[in-house]
Amino acid sequence: MCQLEASLESLHARVAHLKGSLQSFILKLENEHDRLTWPSVLDNFALLSGQLNTINKVLKNEKTPSYRSQVIIPLLLSPDRDEELVKLTEQRVPVFSHEIVPDHLRTKPDPEVEEQEKHLSAEAARIGPEVAQKQIQTLNKLCSNLLEKLNNPRDDRDSESSALRQNKPSFNPADTNALVAAVGFGKGLSKCRPPGSVPPGHPGQPTMSTGPTLQQVTIAGTTGHQAGMGGQVAQQQPGQPGKMPSSIKTNIKSASASMHPYNR
Amino acid sequence: MEAPPVTVMPVTGGTINMMEYLLQGSVLDQSLESLLHRLRGLCDNMEPESFADHELVYLLKGQQGNPFMLRGRRSLLHPTAPWHLRYLGQPEVGDKSRHALVRNCVDVAASHSLPEFLNEMGFRMDHEFVAKGQVFRKGAMKVVVSKLLRVLATGNTENTEPLSLSYLVELSVLAPAGQDTVSEDMRSFAEQLKPLVHLEKIDPKRLM
Repeated sequence: MCQLEASLESLHARVAHLKGSLQSFILKLENEHDRLTWPSVLDNFALLSGQLNTINKVLKNEKTPSYRSQVIIPLLLSPDRDEELVKLTEQRVPVFSHEIVPDHLRTKPDPEVEEQEKHLSAEAARIGPEVAQKQIQTLNKLCSNLLEKLNNPRDDRDSESSALRQNKPSFNPADTNALVAAVGFGKGLSKCRPPGSVPPGHPGQPTMSTGPTLQQVTIAGTTGHQAGMGGQVAQQQPGQPGKMPSSIKTNIKSASASMHPYNR
Repeated sequence: MEAPPVTVMPVTGGTINMMEYLLQGSVLDQSLESLLHRLRGLCDNMEPESFADHELVYLLKGQQGNPFMLRGRRSLLHPTAPWHLRYLGQPEVGDKSRHALVRNCVDVAASHSLPEFLNEMGFRMDHEFVAKGQVFRKGAMKVVVSKLLRVLATGNTENTEPLSLSYLVELSVLAPAGQDTVSEDMRSFAEQLKPLVHLEKIDPKRLM
């Protein structure tokens, strides 16, 4: 009898702790959820898990009598408000009546839980003991492997992973060179026929007589431009001002061969 | 009129001489997703910008020396946006310890008559390509992951085929000349992308 009382006391204390930590966690989630960091959430979960663990230990303790063999019988049900009950249960159960008794004193699990348990026990009975044993062993092996990997950071792990990575290279140096050459000076890109020379070429070539005069006009125009644009033109065609007079004469002489006044 | 000396940089109204620091690498198509995830984590928190650009490279062949190259780029996603004209100089042959490719860079916006204008000036289009991809930013650093597509018919950007099975990854910074801390920052960022991508200084002349 006193064992039962003692165990009930300790169980009650543990459950009270668990309730307290759950309450504070819920409060934190509701009020400070934007300031909450994942590590502190993890801490809360760890605390809850630890407390559940201790409850489990208390229940498993050999000094704890089996609760299944105990029966709780309500001796007095009344629809009146019981102040002491209110105090004991922190305002949650004001009346010990016919409505609350089935809920609070039930021992059967929820119907869904019962269904699932039945399902699981049927499954377990079906597969047979040897298969079950093998499954247990596989699970144990997987867990121990994982634990070992997590607990022992190995130095040779880097060499293993780098060996794996080398099997799947993510870039091809030959491609790099090809792309850089293409962007740099057009290697691999078709060199196009200069489209600019085609239009002036066509009207120029058949009309050779008007060719020289056309060129004279344009060249005069460009010399005028030259004074204005000074540096820029000089930049693009280095040495041009000095050479222009001579090229004018050359172009006039061979109008058919080089139509464009700037053709060098 | 006396010819101005050739070494004078173009007069651009008082802007600083900008250098482009560049590191390049590539990533295979199947590893693209992991690279994009990593870049989203490492780079500034913003929606990654997608782009589809058509780049035309113009050459002006002089009677002497190397041809002069200009790059004109237009957006296929925003057809009304201005063209982007860029000049990239030769890579600076500085000390070998510098980790990034450094070259002079001049960027200007241009109107839609740029191709005709360049043709009139005497430039000839040497090659063109389409680049599609995404741009990420981290501070001053820009990471561009793009797929290069070959244009099969000149001027027709609908008909394209990929140049290779990889995406080109470029890490670049535009900074005034003389800031060598930039290449250090670029190198540490490039470290974080290993081993997915190896960003390194690739000299285009070596690949000619």
